[in-house]
Amino acid sequence: MKLTTKFTLWYFAIMLVVLLTGGYIVYYEIQDKISRVEVARHQRLNDLIAEQVRRGGDYSNSPTRKRATVTVIPADSVPRGGSSYYTRGIDWNPEFQVNEYRLMVTSYYQIKGQYYRITTYSFIPSFYQLLPGVVDSFKWILLMLLVLVIVSAGLIPKYILAPFKRTLKVIQSFDVKQHSAIRLPQTRTSEFLELNVFLEKMTEKAREDYQSLKEFTENASHELQTPTAIIRGKLDLLMESDIRDEQAILIAEMQNALERLSRIHSSLTLLTKLENQEYDGSSPVCISVLARGILDSFDELIEMKSLRLDAKIAEKVYVPLNPALADLLLTNLVSNAIRHNEAPAGERGWIMVNLAKEGLMISNSGREPQVPVMELFERFKKGNPGGDSIGIGLAIVRQICDLTGFTIQYQFHDGIHTLAVGFTDRVPASRLLQNLGLPLHHVKTVT
Amino acid sequence: MLIIEDNQELARNIRDFLGREGYICESSETVEGATEKLTLFQYDCILLDIGLPDGSGIGLLNLIRSEHKESNVLIISAKNALDDKIIGLEKGADDYITKPFHLAELHARIRAVYRRKNLGGTNIVEFNEISLNTDTFEARVAGKLLDTTPKEFDLLLYFIVNKNRVLSRQAIAAHLWGDYTDNLANFDFVYQHVKNLRRKISNAGGLDYIGTVYGLGYKFNSHQDG
Repeated sequence: MKLTTKFTLWYFAIMLVVLLTGGYIVYYEIQDKISRVEVARHQRLNDLIAEQVRRGGDYSNSPTRKRATVTVIPADSVPRGGSSYYTRGIDWNPEFQVNEYRLMVTSYYQIKGQYYRITTYSFIPSFYQLLPGVVDSFKWILLMLLVLVIVSAGLIPKYILAPFKRTLKVIQSFDVKQHSAIRLPQTRTSEFLELNVFLEKMTEKAREDYQSLKEFTENASHELQTPTAIIRGKLDLLMESDIRDEQAILIAEMQNALERLSRIHSSLTLLTKLENQEYDGSSPVCISVLARGILDSFDELIEMKSLRLDAKIAEKVYVPLNPALADLLLTNLVSNAIRHNEAPAGERGWIMVNLAKEGLMISNSGREPQVPVMELFERFKKGNPGGDSIGIGLAIVRQICDLTGFTIQYQFHDGIHTLAVGFTDRVPASRLLQNLGLPLHHVKTVT
Repeated sequence: MLIIEDNQELARNIRDFLGREGYICESSETVEGATEKLTLFQYDCILLDIGLPDGSGIGLLNLIRSEHKESNVLIISAKNALDDKIIGLEKGADDYITKPFHLAELHARIRAVYRRKNLGGTNIVEFNEISLNTDTFEARVAGKLLDTTPKEFDLLLYFIVNKNRVLSRQAIAAHLWGDYTDNLANFDFVYQHVKNLRRKISNAGGLDYIGTVYGLGYKFNSHQDG
């Protein structure tokens, strides 16, 4: 939910509470005020009648006596304390022939030694008649407020949140690899200012950490590669000196170990670089052309292992990927399929490559792996522990996929290894495995 | 040849190896020393390490390109960083090799660069009855065209350039398949390629120069008795 929507909803809730309470207060205030005014008027009238009585004379036709009753009362029935009180309630209004709300004021006077009770009344609008008016006016107020809040909710946040949005934009485009510190827009809002200061600090720290990590990787790479290069050179030279057969074997074994060391090292460096996202540039690369080229380059190896290659490559499949990484991804997948290809006795091994807009599937015949297939994506995990590989090719493949937002799945079924890479979110690798399932005739092929 | 490399042992490896090929090598460990040598002498080929103790080798490239237009420059770097490679090649280096490399590979690269620049068009490598055209990738034995695959051609060229040297299977694999040979059981393939190549040469009537060195690899012997 948007911040503005939240604010608006809260405003509505508060407004509703305030208006309801306000309505209640207004209603009672009006009711009270009307009563008071009426009571004051009648008291004045009563005073006037008392004055007329004091003066003497016939006032029975005077308009003041229209709704007045003047009664002489014995002294003991004068209530102690107050000289006046009022009552109200529903009563019959003979003028309108209807029951109405009546206010009656009774006052006591002592005139010329006698006690008088003077009572006057009038019909006033009932409070129930007032209520719809109050409700109506508050309805209009509520409506007006609603319109105002909605309109302002659309306009004001644009102005208030503008610095926040600008900050967000800067942060979204932040890249730990960038060489300069981020520049956040100026703002007078203290919260945003605080946020900006924090973000500036944090991104600066991230940048520094990234730089030092990168430097470390590069230094480690440099420092390790040089001694490896020296040893390799010395062995190259030693090989040419006059050596005995046993020594030759020793040198060969050293060469092998050295080769492994150097491969592990360069692969790990590559993985680190991938993790640090040092390969950017996600302009679309035509993977169809790339795939053809790579299959061509592996042609001889495929032939040497007498494998059958069945490639279905759709034209013009573009994926947003660094070309070097795309190359690495395909090379690793294809060479993996060649390397771990093993067909049952008497059959010919095969590789099937299927590239479509949605993704890539590479299947090959092979032995059952000794660990669950999805674990093969981990570093140094090998399906065949005795093999020559160092078990890092698929880790690199997965890293590239993670980096690019591709999905990847590995499946082993019935002597068939299948790796699926889904290029889009819509069609994940698992769907590819279901939909582009292998035609069965490949399994049964016998040479 | 000038070897600009801060690691003395590595520089000595290169000097020893190339010295046997008849190259006259000098080496320098610093930018300063290299600058002095470059202003005083002319070199056919310069091997340049990027990471030097007193500066980057990239800076030296500018000097080399302004003063020594004819020299071939080959960058040696431990950083397999794409940036270095691109900058290096843009600034006028002729090729780029990443540590750790096989000395035979370095030699092959030097020769390739030299061929490209100095022979001006006639890119023919000849050895006795074998001749290789590095432009058209045609291999001929006594004038007869050999039907070689690109990898076999590459292999033969590698052998001839590094003749009379023991080439380990690792070095050959690295040469043929580059840095990412990781996933390939490459030694079997090396064996296959060498076998096929030998068969093709002898079928065409060439001598069998390629010999197996016990435990280590192969060797192209120029002194064949027959």
